[in-house]
Amino acid sequence: MMKLLPLIFLILFVVGISGTPVAGEQKASVMITGYHVSPEALMYNDIGTITVTVKNMEAVQSVRIKEVSLLEREIKVLSDPYFSIGGLGPGESLNLSFTIRAGYTDGIYYPKILLEAENAENIRYQIPVKIDSTPLTIGVKGMPEEMVKGERAEIKLVVGNPRPNTVTGVKIVTNDENMIPSEVFMGTLSSDESKVASFNFTPQTRGVHTLTFTLEFKNGDNPHSTALSIPLNVTESKKSAELILTGIEIESTLGMSVYKITGDINNAGLEEARSVVMKVGEGEGIEAVDPYKAYFVGLLSPDDFSSFELDVKVDENVTKVPLLIEYKDDDGNLFSTTEYISIERHQTTSSKELHVSMIAVLVVSALLIIGVIAYSWKKR
Amino acid sequence: MLDVLINPDKFFEARKKGAKSLKVPLLIVLISGMISGIAAFLMADITLEMLSETLPPEALGIALTVGRISAFTGALVVSLLIWVVFAAVFFGISWILKGEGTFTRTLEFVGYGYIPMILSGMISAVLMYNFISTAQIPQVTDPTEIAEIMRQWITGNPMVQLSSIIGILFMLWSANIWVFGLKHARNLSTKNALITAGIPVALYVLYSIWQLGVLG
Repeated sequence: MMKLLPLIFLILFVVGISGTPVAGEQKASVMITGYHVSPEALMYNDIGTITVTVKNMEAVQSVRIKEVSLLEREIKVLSDPYFSIGGLGPGESLNLSFTIRAGYTDGIYYPKILLEAENAENIRYQIPVKIDSTPLTIGVKGMPEEMVKGERAEIKLVVGNPRPNTVTGVKIVTNDENMIPSEVFMGTLSSDESKVASFNFTPQTRGVHTLTFTLEFKNGDNPHSTALSIPLNVTESKKSAELILTGIEIESTLGMSVYKITGDINNAGLEEARSVVMKVGEGEGIEAVDPYKAYFVGLLSPDDFSSFELDVKVDENVTKVPLLIEYKDDDGNLFSTTEYISIERHQTTSSKELHVSMIAVLVVSALLIIGVIAYSWKKR
Repeated sequence: MLDVLINPDKFFEARKKGAKSLKVPLLIVLISGMISGIAAFLMADITLEMLSETLPPEALGIALTVGRISAFTGALVVSLLIWVVFAAVFFGISWILKGEGTFTRTLEFVGYGYIPMILSGMISAVLMYNFISTAQIPQVTDPTEIAEIMRQWITGNPMVQLSSIIGILFMLWSANIWVFGLKHARNLSTKNALITAGIPVALYVLYSIWQLGVLG
């Protein structure tokens, strides 16, 4: 008898851990028949959902589900477990969703679904969830090698999706006021797909510019963005009209305050300058006066020149007069440059000559008159 | 006639013995007036050129003709008036200084004093012509600006200033002639004749210098 005891305990133990129901308690069968993770691949800190389908596989017996929960350490589960869901009829299925937040480390994780039912087997089910933080790429597909002030340049940008899933709401936004359009919407971008967007940029000033584009997209409901900065150097056109002033002459016309500025304006560039207008620039103590407050030159072809004339009234303390030159290119873009002309108040050569002759006339006249008067008084 | 310029005392002493005659003095004043008229004629051209943008072309032609004639005759008439006025002033001052003699004789002798002014008028006319030929004439839309421009020319342009200074020098020569003319026309001592001619001429010279911008 004593020899049979260990055998009896062994049988009882085996029966106990195998969960073999007590005779007369047949347990129902419940299965997780499917799952869906949205978005398919999360980026770090993204919020997504896991939906599982629970089905009662029994043909006649209902199952009472007590609790369904989701467990994972690397992925934070934001939603609460389901308690006392109720009965699930024979052959019926039920979708249960859990909200999750991705962690900060890329990889594939397996959160566990734990299902507990009253008269059915408990279920542990692992669902693979992928975290891939690879962003969309944006780059320059094409742009002119040289950016020229005032000339429109097309900039083509290409957006690629190296992610394993489709992203939505893809658009490129820029805040540069010289860029048209300010936004290009590209919509959905499937995995490994790329799309091209075009922008027109018309720089208004020379020098180094940095164009900034922002690529915006959604991974599921999660907005993301990527910035692209393009440094570029804007120069004057090598072919554009280049207006230079030569042969400047300044004549004082009214005392020492009104000056007539004459000279030639030359086009040393390779393109035509249209609607060329010369004006006296604004400044303290500087005032354009009639008859030539402004001078219209009109069309100035390459290697051509035209005379001009301007009248300006200046205060005594003014030493330089700004001359404003405005012209348009073939596209109607307005250009303006300012040249400064020095006002020299020293006597001109002719004035010096005049002084010599003036002194001579004065001396001769004075000597003559003094001599005559002296003679007349001596003779009286 | 040369005596009136270099030895006026002798000239007027001799003339005093003759009959009164205003023919030659009148001619002298008229010549002087005509030369002043030429300068005024040129100034009228400048003035109307300044207004050429403001006045319509047809009005400009009429204004130019009328302006030239008015300026020339105006200068002529003013010369005659100034002759009479100067003579009257000299007559009045010499009357205070117990001078004796008729106004006609005073007028006659004062007229001879205009001879140096003919010379100064000729020099001034040449300088004025030279100035007009080289000057840039500004366009004005407001006729009141013309006075300001003229003032700037007188105070700022060397040619105009030279003309004024020569005018003053020759006026002193005329004053010298008037001293001896008044001495004989009004039977004054040389000292009193000097005072009589000196006061108005000094005032005139001071006024001319003030206009040049040297004073005040």
